[in-house]
Amino acid sequence: MKILLKLLIISLPISFLFMFFVLLNEDKQIPGADYREFDLPIFNLEDLDSKRVIKNTDIKGASIINIWASWCITCQIEHPYLMSLNKRGIPVIGINYKDDRDDAINWLSKFGNPYQLIIHDYKGSLALDMGVTGAPETFLVNNGRIVAHYQGEINESIWNKVFAPIIEEQGLFK
Amino acid sequence: MKIKYITLIFFSLTVFSGTIYEFTNDEDEKRFNDLIKDIRCPKCTFGSLSSSNAPVSEDLKLKIAEMVRENKTDNEIKNYVASRFGKESLYEPELSKGTYLLWFSPFVILLLALSIFIFRKKY
Repeated sequence: MKILLKLLIISLPISFLFMFFVLLNEDKQIPGADYREFDLPIFNLEDLDSKRVIKNTDIKGASIINIWASWCITCQIEHPYLMSLNKRGIPVIGINYKDDRDDAINWLSKFGNPYQLIIHDYKGSLALDMGVTGAPETFLVNNGRIVAHYQGEINESIWNKVFAPIIEEQGLFK
Repeated sequence: MKIKYITLIFFSLTVFSGTIYEFTNDEDEKRFNDLIKDIRCPKCTFGSLSSSNAPVSEDLKLKIAEMVRENKTDNEIKNYVASRFGKESLYEPELSKGTYLLWFSPFVILLLALSIFIFRKKY
């Protein structure tokens, strides 16, 4: 019995040390990043100029989907980075989230338009189906399947940590 | 002046801003109310959907109300939410390989403690 008690007394601090130094130090997970794969939801929404209807099948190959709105301050901060992605030749698709059409168009003429295609999701129905909780959020799509999702502002360091490994693994944007 | 303030309250937006979820029967309404207590708000992980009025929670509640009206089962609705906002959005985690530790470890620890207790008594 005494041995058991001694063992317990020794093992408790060891397990605490293990918890503090090993389990709590693991920083493999990046807060806000999510790698659950799922199909792009079926949708049928107008584009921002209300000229045409965009369907889920219109999004082909590999691309970035960015949720943005003119009322979203963080979207202004990440905007230059999206512009640079566009310059690098990476197709960026925008989902205009719960936004007034005119406000959004004005916003783009003021800050520039990095998007190849803009879906006007006024009610946020498509965004809800994609698991969006706010703006900005960014998705990586490969052939109609979401392969990575990041909640929050993207920049070079987030891109390298969250998206670059997947892009390399799946050989996208070549 | 007082009357002015009182009338202001009557006409203020906040009084009428609560979203109303309409159901054709009481059963659906009860089911809806139970469901939103069982599902976490995606934006504020400490509260349930029913306690939250964040925009995304409002959207999700409207969607759940719609699914209740379409006679979707509780499981279908919970699966919908979990597939979008993660398994952590359900207050009661499902029983699967990944959650065995979560569900059964308290009983194992209890058994261990009991056995140590009984073992000790013999001496």
